Amino acid sequence: MRPNRFGIRIAVSTLALAVSCGAQAVTDNDILNDASTPEDIVSYGMGTQGQRFSTIEDLNTDNIRFLQPAWAFSFGSEKMRGQESQPMIKDGVMYVTASYSRVYAIDARTGEELWQYDARLPDGIMPCCDVVNRGVALYGDKVYFGTLDAKLVALNKDTGKPVWIKKVADYQAGYAITAAPIVVKGKLITGVSGGEFGVVGKVEAYDPESGDLIWTRPTVEGHMGYVYKDGKAVENGISGGEAGKTWPGDLWKNGGAATWLGGTYDPDTDSLFFGTGNPAPWNSHLRPGDNLFSSSRLAIDPNDGSIKWHFQTTPHDGWDYDGVNELISFNYEEDGEKVMAAATADRNGFFYVLNRENGDFIRGFPFVDKITWATGLDPKTGRPIYAEGGRPGDPSSIDGAKGETVLAQPAFLGGKNWMPMAFSQDTGLFYIPSNEWSMDIWNEPVSYKKGGAYLGAGFTIKPANDDYIGVLRAVDPKTGEEVWRYENPAPLWGGVMATAGNLVFTGTPEGYLKAFDAKTGEELYKFNTGSGVVGTPVTWTMDGEQYVSVASGWGGAVPLWGGEVAKVVKDFNQGGMVWTFRLPKDRVASQ
Amino acid sequence: MKALFLCLMMLVFQAGVAQEVDDGDMLLNRPAERTYDIILESGYLKVGVYQNFPPYSYMADGEPQGIDVELGKRIAAEMGVEFKVHWIVPDENLGDDLRNNVWKGHYLAKRRLADVMMRVPYDKKYAYMQDSTGEYMNEQVVLFGPYQQETWQIAYNPQKMESVDTIAMFQYHPIGVEIDTLPDFYLTSGLNGRIRDKVRHYANVQEAFGAMRDGQVSAVMGMRAEIDHELAKKENSNFKAAGNGFPGIGKQVWDVGMAIKHTHRQLGYALEEIIGTLVKSGDLDTLFAEQRLRYSLPQYYREFLSEEAIARAEGSN
Repeated sequence: MRPNRFGIRIAVSTLALAVSCGAQAVTDNDILNDASTPEDIVSYGMGTQGQRFSTIEDLNTDNIRFLQPAWAFSFGSEKMRGQESQPMIKDGVMYVTASYSRVYAIDARTGEELWQYDARLPDGIMPCCDVVNRGVALYGDKVYFGTLDAKLVALNKDTGKPVWIKKVADYQAGYAITAAPIVVKGKLITGVSGGEFGVVGKVEAYDPESGDLIWTRPTVEGHMGYVYKDGKAVENGISGGEAGKTWPGDLWKNGGAATWLGGTYDPDTDSLFFGTGNPAPWNSHLRPGDNLFSSSRLAIDPNDGSIKWHFQTTPHDGWDYDGVNELISFNYEEDGEKVMAAATADRNGFFYVLNRENGDFIRGFPFVDKITWATGLDPKTGRPIYAEGGRPGDPSSIDGAKGETVLAQPAFLGGKNWMPMAFSQDTGLFYIPSNEWSMDIWNEPVSYKKGGAYLGAGFTIKPANDDYIGVLRAVDPKTGEEVWRYENPAPLWGGVMATAGNLVFTGTPEGYLKAFDAKTGEELYKFNTGSGVVGTPVTWTMDGEQYVSVASGWGGAVPLWGGEVAKVVKDFNQGGMVWTFRLPKDRVASQ
Repeated sequence: MKALFLCLMMLVFQAGVAQEVDDGDMLLNRPAERTYDIILESGYLKVGVYQNFPPYSYMADGEPQGIDVELGKRIAAEMGVEFKVHWIVPDENLGDDLRNNVWKGHYLAKRRLADVMMRVPYDKKYAYMQDSTGEYMNEQVVLFGPYQQETWQIAYNPQKMESVDTIAMFQYHPIGVEIDTLPDFYLTSGLNGRIRDKVRHYANVQEAFGAMRDGQVSAVMGMRAEIDHELAKKENSNFKAAGNGFPGIGKQVWDVGMAIKHTHRQLGYALEEIIGTLVKSGDLDTLFAEQRLRYSLPQYYREFLSEEAIARAEGSN
């Protein structure tokens, strides 16, 4: 297909060797210290706690106007859709994934490709949750990522050649992987994505060198966890103690609770924090009970996969409020005491501050303008107080007629979806990419599935306001106060980064990378990347200059859903690029 | 580029094994616009059937088998073209399957469409359903040619239960269902949830019968053809079909037909004629009987055929 493929391959590998010369292996310490080493980014979240806060001050509110594009790189092919990746940087090389399970190593100085790896996806694969990928993990001399057919792939960081490929779950049963795996204490840790086909969520640890399974922890009550010793599975306790405590019948066997967004790690408490998806089946009237550990945050021991504590944000979910959103560890002072906290902004519209040592509820408050499904949170436990009439009806109780329509706000895409928020150590504020939308849910009078009559629910998502859906908010976790907000016409779907230069970065579906004053919310910078930004920005230093990178390429879940929201986003063009910006050295002191 | 080439080669290879043809436009990455004349000229008909879905469509002995496959072969033969199978991996609902396989293509396989899709419920209410903005949701397809009426059925183990008089029996006896189907919803929430704790979930009806042989459940509920197909197997010869009703199910019976893209109506007229003859002559009833399945004439025909004609179609003559 190429005239001189040989020649090009030689050229590429020479370049790869030249750049990787002097490249060091990524160690556990590199990963643990990632938040305080500005010259590299070797963890998803710019630090294992997931704060996405950079200590670099060179680029700041005074000189941001001099930020200029350094290079842009196309992911190529016709696979222009949904670039939700966070780039990683190590020794002058950027490692970034693209949709359809592709990985690229790029010379971070010039934007030249070093190698590309395309996972071969099976024929007839039907991934539940779009074709996105959110990034790689780096460790030793390897690059790791998960694929749409639910495999973990280890690649040599210099050549891009696969070292091992392991099946984490069966894609035919409805599993996939879209999140970035993480490396903690020499273990490669991943969750799984899954649709409505009776999957059971789990978190698993693998040996990064060999790909051997070390432990597995199911996230639905009643399933046994295992640790593996010399290739043998040793029982390590049933999740939740026993089956049937919070599920009726045998529904725990297919309970959902997929861990599809990956997790964070807090070295202070030696805990992995993973969120879980909604329970299955979707019709909540079939499964009275809390349905643990669906729509929850779990603290997991990285050594053997035991569950230390859990906090359920939406017990007995009936609105598709996944509990997967990232739990970010942070400390704050209260009455002269240091509080070891962790915070999350849930799909369900509430912001939670938890004690990260034991999972106790400290406080919670709405971070969106309106919540209809609950009237508030129990001040002691954080459990939602359900609103009367707020739960969608039982589809079995209608007989050929359209069921009653229930309005729920936020919509199932959430007050905040997958896109990670950031925490600034300077301002003490969380910067939340959120959306103001509601949904109508009703039971379909006529519905079919696989040739048979079926009971389905219909829904439509509606913007809550005429002129905007997306809201980037600065929120004080101690008071719940919204310090500032930026309103965006289209829904926000990209991650956020805060820096010590008093800046907050995020992207918009309109195509812009934007920067705001972290204290006031004033918009200070925007650059159009040519397609919607649904990736997560990063920043680092190289050769004494500060760089910012972000993937661009509209897609993800929003364009998959119609309704009124489609009107706002239907003209956005898809794409597949990574953009890199630089603040020239001589502009650092600019006023 | 090399990886992409390899990927394409593998796709071609895979398609060969599954007897599928890739006739989409490589350059523009879109499906071929296969109208009636183009199908005749090409010499084959791509028939969309669900994968791993006995007794309707499945692989056995390296060959596509089942009622929908046989019917597809008969239609292709009548048209004077070769039958080519197009396997459908079911998505969450019929609308998704129609989009992925009949009018648009799946975003991971944009060149891959069936000329005609089998086992599509024929329901005017469904065909003309409107979304919240008033748009017709299924305007991209034509649903036509009903060829069978399907219904619900329970099989039980007579050693565990004497008979199934009503579904209330399943407050006491465990019953197996395929997960995320109407029988699942019906039994799990029916009778105010009093059966819920006795419902056991399986990936398909075949697995549920395996559980009945192991004594884990006393009965299985599914679509009648699925149940009949299992009951015809030697290993299930101890089990019986129940005669109970299903109070409270909105859809007791429904007609099953075909779907084509709305711009291919000429193909639809040709297929409609062929299927009509097969139904009315009693050939379809024979086809079902050969597969050891009961056949019910669609409601569509009952509304205009004479009693004699109905009897002929259902094999009574």
